[in-house]
Amino acid sequence: MMKPILLSTVSLGALALSSLAAQADQGDTLRTVQERGSLNCPGDVGSYLGFAEVDDNGVWRGIDIELCRAMTSAIFGDPSHANIVPIDWAQRWPALQSGDIDIVIKASGGTRSRDTELGLQFSMSYYLGTTKVMGHAELGLETLADAAGGSICVPASTSTERQVSSYLEANGIEMEIVAIERNEEVEAAYFSGRCDTYAQWGPVLAIAASQSDDPSAHVLLPDVLALEPEVMIARQGDDNWIDIANWTLSALLFAEQEGITSENVDEIRQNPPTAEIGRFLGATPGLGAGLGLSDDWAYNVISQVGNYSEIFERSLGMESPYQMPREMTALWNAGGVLFPLVFD
Amino acid sequence: MTLATDFRPRHSRLYRLRRAYFASPLTGLVTLLSVAILAWLAWIVLDWTVLQATFDADANQAICAERAGACWSVIANRWRIILFGLYPLDEQWRAGVACAVVALVIVLSCLPLMWRFSRLALVWVLGTAVFYTLMRGGIFGLVPVNEQQWGGLPLTLFIFVATGILGMPLAIGLALMRRSELPVIARVSGWIIDTIRSLPLLAILFTCAIVLPFMLPGFLIGEKLYRVIFGAALFFAAYQAEIIRGGFQGIPRGQEEAAKALGLGYWQRMGKVVLPQAFRLALPATINQFVIAFMETSLVVVVGFMELLAASNTAFRTGEWRFAYIEVYVFISAIYFAFVFGLSRYGAWLEARMSAGQRKD
Repeated sequence: MMKPILLSTVSLGALALSSLAAQADQGDTLRTVQERGSLNCPGDVGSYLGFAEVDDNGVWRGIDIELCRAMTSAIFGDPSHANIVPIDWAQRWPALQSGDIDIVIKASGGTRSRDTELGLQFSMSYYLGTTKVMGHAELGLETLADAAGGSICVPASTSTERQVSSYLEANGIEMEIVAIERNEEVEAAYFSGRCDTYAQWGPVLAIAASQSDDPSAHVLLPDVLALEPEVMIARQGDDNWIDIANWTLSALLFAEQEGITSENVDEIRQNPPTAEIGRFLGATPGLGAGLGLSDDWAYNVISQVGNYSEIFERSLGMESPYQMPREMTALWNAGGVLFPLVFD
Repeated sequence: MTLATDFRPRHSRLYRLRRAYFASPLTGLVTLLSVAILAWLAWIVLDWTVLQATFDADANQAICAERAGACWSVIANRWRIILFGLYPLDEQWRAGVACAVVALVIVLSCLPLMWRFSRLALVWVLGTAVFYTLMRGGIFGLVPVNEQQWGGLPLTLFIFVATGILGMPLAIGLALMRRSELPVIARVSGWIIDTIRSLPLLAILFTCAIVLPFMLPGFLIGEKLYRVIFGAALFFAAYQAEIIRGGFQGIPRGQEEAAKALGLGYWQRMGKVVLPQAFRLALPATINQFVIAFMETSLVVVVGFMELLAASNTAFRTGEWRFAYIEVYVFISAIYFAFVFGLSRYGAWLEARMSAGQRKD
């Protein structure tokens, strides 16, 4: 998402060519995926902790990966058909257009230019990412304005850098912007005291603070520099495919809302409390036909991968090393902004 | 020509040492100072890498933080990711054996004993076949492993070796074309070389990986890995062709004319007279080019391959080990160093060996 657009020029050149070629070759993504026998999603060695990372056994983990597994379960009834293709930031759009991957779930925001100029299509948002600023506690900062005259570390040539400069400009705050290329180095620069403050995409910042040697030595400032809704992204023109992405996400959220987890899903399926949930779990027919999926696709998603809450807690939340609270990413009835569509 | 007898007096080692480093008080001071600085640096390195380091495989961030040195636990826990990337865990012995095969092939082809076309060809064809069979699987009961899952050291070695094997003949071809007497051929070759050299390798790799599939007919697209290797080989060939051309220019014209006068045909002249001498002259630059090619394998990360460098990035990009990136970088620098230093020493030895007959004093 806000990550380096190191190769943006080249990749845009590639896209100019690719969008021409791709228009002709959209077809039916679901059928292509079913015939291939795997859903190709991007993984990235340079992605964000908790979104896509590799464990000691070489298995991909993270919320982006789990969403891919959820979609795979909806299609094949089994997450093992997910094929995680390592893909760099700059490469995700050309790879999507060329059909190397079927969907981009890669902490990427829905933007106008991606929608209208790159010929892409978005699902609903599965995560709300904000750009925030952290400061050394000893400076006694309350808002970013207090840090005026000081310095701010930002990852170079990312949208974060642009957001910081426009926020500073808009609010008339004078600060020295220290732009550094690699994430590890920006962090090291901030923690070593080179900068007074450090601006970064929210989850990255939270993880950096919580895992520093002394978490209490840093404060997260209330300023929100920018909001970016992270979405699943598909090629324009295959409506059923983006429907499948949307309904998979809705199924995860609906299951959380109704208290259906991977643990109790079988029980609830035997004894559905409402006709709505009965159909949702495939106990009565009708759920899959319109999407080209089986009637128990939502049951497969929940039983194999879990609901949204389970995914979040495993990847970023309390069962992960990062211990992040849900905050805005909670359900609507828990103070957040996420909601499922209606499974009528 | 070396003089038969050296009349200069022989001195003891101590005397020579004193004359070289302690000739005057100032030189002595500089020597002592330099030694002190070097010793201090060496101590810092030793202290960090060994004395204060944590070697316990079960240690975590908190335990490592108690000691000031390196936390090698990250290597103990993540070495599989660093060396083999995402190659399936149960099949990693295959990747290991494949690495050993490539290393063996490289060592074998460095031995003068093997310098016959037939032997080299045999070793390389066999080596490549074994490597590919092991890595790709699908026969002899080996589980198939897609090229996209290859990673770490075997991938780095494969890209490097394949770039060399494809690039070298291409370079020779381009260099020979460039000195052709037919202006069309010479000029076309010049254009090709100059065009490729004016493009950054990054752009070439990106084009091969991403743009080519849109322009080629389906049956030509092939696996992304091979398109990328093709791009890297082109790039290598363009530079290496110029290096060989430099070698050609160092050979007196009379050599080729004499060969012509003896009635040797074009291929005999090239194969037996011109090219061997050109390669000898171009050897230092060639070794340099190979070293660069080895280092540049890490660029394939931009098109999504998890070679050694990318795999090691993956190794520390996890909640547990994010603090230990320096250790991981030190570990892979040691791997790169071993390869490149070996290559350089081999180059130096080769140079000494080849110029043995020509030493001038």
